[in-house]
Amino acid sequence: MQRFEFIGRFARNRGALIGAVLILVVALMALLAPLVFPVDPLRIVGQPELWPGEDPDFPLGTDSLGRDMLSMIMHGARATLLIGLFASAVATLIGVSVGAIAGYFGGWIDEIAMRAAELFQTIPNLIFVLTIVVILGSTLTNIVIAIGVVSWTPIARMTRAEFLSLRDREFVQACRAMGMGDLKIIAAEILPNALPPVIVLSSLVVAGAILFESAVSFLGLGDPNVASWGRLVGDGRQLIRSSWYICAIPGVAIMITVLCLNLIGDGLNDALNPKLRDR
Amino acid sequence: MSSSNRVTRRVFGAGVVAASLAGIAPAGAQGTPKRGGTLVATWGGGEPQACYVPAGGGSSPTFSSSKLFERLGNRTMEGKFRGELAESWKPAADFKSYTIKIRKGVKFHDGKDMTVDDVVYSISEIWKKYAAASALTDFAGITAPDADTVVMTFNTPIPEFFFASLLCGNVNYIVPKHVYAGSDPVTNPANNAPIGTGPWKFKEWVRGSHFEYVKNDAYWRKDLPYMDRLIIRYVRDPAGRAAAMEAGDIHIGVFNPVAPPDIKRLIGTGKFVATPKGYEESVWSTTLECNMRNPVFAKREVRQAMFHAIDRNFLAKTIYYGYARPGTSPIYSPNKEFYTTDTFSTAFDPKKAAALLDAAGYPKKADGKRFAVNLLAAGWFTENGKIGAYVKQALEDVGVAVNLSVPDRPTSIKRIYTDYDFDMAISNQANPSEPVPSTTQYFTTDGIKKGVPFRNANGYSNPEVDALVEKIKVETDPAKRKALVFQFEKIITVEAPLLPILELESITVASTKVQNHSNDPNYLAATWYDIWLAS
Repeated sequence: MQRFEFIGRFARNRGALIGAVLILVVALMALLAPLVFPVDPLRIVGQPELWPGEDPDFPLGTDSLGRDMLSMIMHGARATLLIGLFASAVATLIGVSVGAIAGYFGGWIDEIAMRAAELFQTIPNLIFVLTIVVILGSTLTNIVIAIGVVSWTPIARMTRAEFLSLRDREFVQACRAMGMGDLKIIAAEILPNALPPVIVLSSLVVAGAILFESAVSFLGLGDPNVASWGRLVGDGRQLIRSSWYICAIPGVAIMITVLCLNLIGDGLNDALNPKLRDR
Repeated sequence: MSSSNRVTRRVFGAGVVAASLAGIAPAGAQGTPKRGGTLVATWGGGEPQACYVPAGGGSSPTFSSSKLFERLGNRTMEGKFRGELAESWKPAADFKSYTIKIRKGVKFHDGKDMTVDDVVYSISEIWKKYAAASALTDFAGITAPDADTVVMTFNTPIPEFFFASLLCGNVNYIVPKHVYAGSDPVTNPANNAPIGTGPWKFKEWVRGSHFEYVKNDAYWRKDLPYMDRLIIRYVRDPAGRAAAMEAGDIHIGVFNPVAPPDIKRLIGTGKFVATPKGYEESVWSTTLECNMRNPVFAKREVRQAMFHAIDRNFLAKTIYYGYARPGTSPIYSPNKEFYTTDTFSTAFDPKKAAALLDAAGYPKKADGKRFAVNLLAAGWFTENGKIGAYVKQALEDVGVAVNLSVPDRPTSIKRIYTDYDFDMAISNQANPSEPVPSTTQYFTTDGIKKGVPFRNANGYSNPEVDALVEKIKVETDPAKRKALVFQFEKIITVEAPLLPILELESITVASTKVQNHSNDPNYLAATWYDIWLAS
């Protein structure tokens, strides 16, 4: 019952519904990519710089080397979504752990954790990501870690704020009185109540992570063994005056995906925020 | 003292060729040179690590420092040698010493006279230790018998072509002794604000943007240069360079400033010319090398197979839009002295590659792979990354798993030439006609110098090649020397530790207003003393 209620509240936000449908399409593309295009998307398969529609074999054309744009877009959806999800997972994991401990224990632990968060916040995010990638090397894992490491601070702050407001509530005090351990209180009692706004924020971090990955790949620091949308935009920029579609197609894909993720974030906010329940 | 200007139709439109034979300002078809003004130049690469790097440091510092410093000699478009800071040189009968007459009345930018002391210091301290260390292995000493003569002596006979080429070497400059003596030349602060004898004086370096040079009023070529200022601007992106040229912000770009498809577009506007002239003494190639420290590459059949797997024609046509040719020899085809077609061919033949790998003891395993390699494509040219993507595919087709990385310039230099952290690497080199040491140091044992970029990074060491190069070094009979170099080319193409997969056709793109450009066979490293801008 409760689940239907949630979906209903989410679907009341039309934008979120459209966003969710489009993201499902992108996810479907990502899932089907290896079935539709079983060969490596970075393989040279045709003549270079075929415009979309010019050759029925390559509906979205080919890039400057003769690689199939459609195959790269579909496989790119895979890489792009995976990077987004994993980076968001890394950021959420770090953010929730740091925020929960800081908020629950307070005092000097809180001081240290929040000063550390501020330290991370003062470094320009993109430059921080680039630095980590250059030092660790341009592999997919390192890019995910780098994005996670720069994106955790808002989640930590949000979690901490929730914990601060929840830690002295009656039900928590009751748990304490019963002699429940700190860890159990954090994980089993406070966290489930603190989670809704954090989930909304995490969905936005996915969108941010996709943009970071695109920027890193655009600057030529992406993993050259993986087809990602940002890398495609970067590769195509040399030809922007003659074959602009090489940049434009993945660019539009990035834009739509990020927009949809933001819309979903709004929808989740509506669905999870009890105060908006009867709006 | 003849000078000529002629306009020829080249493949890419009109290329203006001005050949000045005796260092006299050429005047002619374009009318009287216009004086004054600012010329803005760029090149197809990034900002250098320092304005002047005593050991060379690649093309970028060569481009920036060559406008400020001068060499003892240089070459004409016809391939002849001529004096620059030297007036003449001649060998002794046994070819073990050379007498050089030094030009009089040359002043450094700080007003001090250039003397034989500066020449002696530059050769014995800078050339011997940094700029030409690998060329001067048999250098015995240098003396200055009088105020305008120096005598260089050697332990072995030195061929004339080698010696003259040495005087024209990329960064074999005459530097001021009073600035460099007693310091470590590599870290001397003057490297970032050089004091030379050249037509241009250093004014400032705005890091991340440009160098500003001003006219040297005391230049020894009277009344030159024509222009007041020379700006060398760095634009990271080829598309950005094309846009800046179209907007009139940059007048001339040497060494492939814009992407090949943009070259045709720019020429089409009628406001630009593109010419392949000016690179005859600095022919660029894209090389592929196998790291000998990886036991997989111990057998030469495995190395040959790597080259058999790659379709060089495809690379030339698709990635360079035809502005490149397949490489066939470590000596490049424009080299009139030493190029030969009688070499071992590792032409595109994936079946043969597979057969060679099978025979070498690397059959396909259950997963269809023979072995895995880390392929590093040096990220200083965008095209290298694309070549890397193709080579990865081509090698995977013959069953070699490839992990490609395309690091930026500093990381690429460190990984290839300091850490040797690659199994196969795609890099670039530019070589003059004289093969020793520029070409040979990629293959000889004494070319293995950890931390020195653009040397033997793959660790190839073969006593036969070392001995042959020693012979080439001392053979003073031009015909016999040629035969030895041909032999060298044959051995290297069979051994295949490093081979050029492409010879690049370097292109200069200039506004039609720019006059007297592309008139030196190594134009990137020329002093540009006679360039001017028509209104």
